[in-house]
Amino acid sequence: MKIAVLVKILPDDQDIQVNGDRTLDFSRAKSTVSTYDLNAIEAAAQLAAKADAQLVAVTCGPKSINDSKTRKNILSRGVDELYMLADDGLELADAYQTGRILAAMVQKIGDVDLVIAGDGSADLYAQQVDIQTAEALGWPAINGGTALDTDGTTVTVTRMLETEREVIRMPLPAVVSVAPEVALPRIAGMKDVLAAGKKPVVEFTAEELGGIAAPTIETVEILAPVPTPRKKQIFDAADEGAIDAFVAALREVM
Amino acid sequence: MKTLVIAENEAAARELAAGARAYADEVVYATFADPVTGIADKCLVVEVPEGQAKEAAFDTFVKILADEDPQMVFFEPTRRLKALVGRLAAHDGASVMTDISAIDEESVKTRYFGGIAERTAKSITPVAFCSAGAGTFKDAEPSGTDVVETVEYVAPAVTLECVERETLPPAEVDLTAADKVVAAGRGFGSEEELEEARTFCKAIGAELGCTRPLTETEDWFPREAYIGVSGLMLSPEVYVGIGVSGQMQHMVGVDRAQVAFAINKDAHAPIFDKVDYGLIGAINDVLPKINAKLS
Repeated sequence: MKIAVLVKILPDDQDIQVNGDRTLDFSRAKSTVSTYDLNAIEAAAQLAAKADAQLVAVTCGPKSINDSKTRKNILSRGVDELYMLADDGLELADAYQTGRILAAMVQKIGDVDLVIAGDGSADLYAQQVDIQTAEALGWPAINGGTALDTDGTTVTVTRMLETEREVIRMPLPAVVSVAPEVALPRIAGMKDVLAAGKKPVVEFTAEELGGIAAPTIETVEILAPVPTPRKKQIFDAADEGAIDAFVAALREVM
Repeated sequence: MKTLVIAENEAAARELAAGARAYADEVVYATFADPVTGIADKCLVVEVPEGQAKEAAFDTFVKILADEDPQMVFFEPTRRLKALVGRLAAHDGASVMTDISAIDEESVKTRYFGGIAERTAKSITPVAFCSAGAGTFKDAEPSGTDVVETVEYVAPAVTLECVERETLPPAEVDLTAADKVVAAGRGFGSEEELEEARTFCKAIGAELGCTRPLTETEDWFPREAYIGVSGLMLSPEVYVGIGVSGQMQHMVGVDRAQVAFAINKDAHAPIFDKVDYGLIGAINDVLPKINAKLS
């Protein structure tokens, strides 16, 4: 059995700064694995171990995603092989373009029985690439998985909806996206990181995959919101009456 | 223009149908059960057979999209509909613009990196697909007829068998519904110190949330209590940040608070630039004093 986990590599949101003109400054933000994809990798690794399956990771994005630290990060988490398309044509790619490419990669890898995706990416959080990939592959899909199991011919997914819990069974091959609570990402040890450096990384070209589809969404602009104006009345507790003044302000809104 | 509204719940159906009416001459609304009348020109009901996931209605919705031929599809951002309508968009060669916060004739706005920025985008496909959460069209009023049609179910090629289904008990704490929200930050040195914050919350009638390190590094809170980028985005009446430095990644989650307060021992903490009232002082020193005055 072969399981593929979809991974997005993007700038670390903790290091994004806002410029004076409200545009974003990514210069200090290093590439990282999108937060919730770490939970998906862990869930996939646990299922692969249980089902004695091979686990491959599949990622695509602009050229900046291809750095050795991020590759090792992915491969140190129980992943056997990494497949990548790093092409600047995928800068700001929409869910349709991304789903088409990921599906082409899954088909090219071959013999994949189950695709696992994370809850949503740190940048757009559109929660659409799982279903776009499934439609491009023509496979059934279920989202919001909090537990999954497979007998080799079907996958059973426990999912949490807004006000319901469901258990869904569908035949393989299939796509499942998982909620963050499905599994806690592991902390890779030094041995895992060293071993990760020796694992295979296969780089595709867009041509091999039939090219990148035309965009379906056009980004007009990306700007930080205008902050709400504030009074900024600051009291120093070392001063007489400061706490009383602060409490009085609190009482105003109670 | 014609808009197709797809919603599972009544409140969302009403709001989306009302929002659609501002742009569309014709509004068609589709749902699974308990159709709401008087909000659209026509209501379509898709009955999914027992023992199947609702996403099994995909082929039926493909037929609805072809028959109705709308220029826009608005849907309620539930998990199910993100999968079902997302697949419909994919089938139609389009992408969904998820959880839009604003819309005009030209474009929509969505969050980027959890709210650090806003992305203005437009669909360049024949049919635009958008999901919009509660509050997006809150001032609009729906109107329509009582026409309800049951759509013939088209069985899917692959069965999504629903083995179990149960209704979940309501969540104990819902920060999104709280009028007043207190966030605890890294300034709290230990889990025990949070007791003072809880006392403070009781005194002012607030719910307690936290910044990212307190749920990730420390595990003092469930992940659902984390306020900020890739966590909760709130619009409370009152926000109080205690021991919170004021990093943008947290503050975007409470920027829409009507009145904001902060307590921090560092006079230079960035949060003091982002609140209405601030108090410079150590939590251990000032919070018990504030609690004593409030009790």
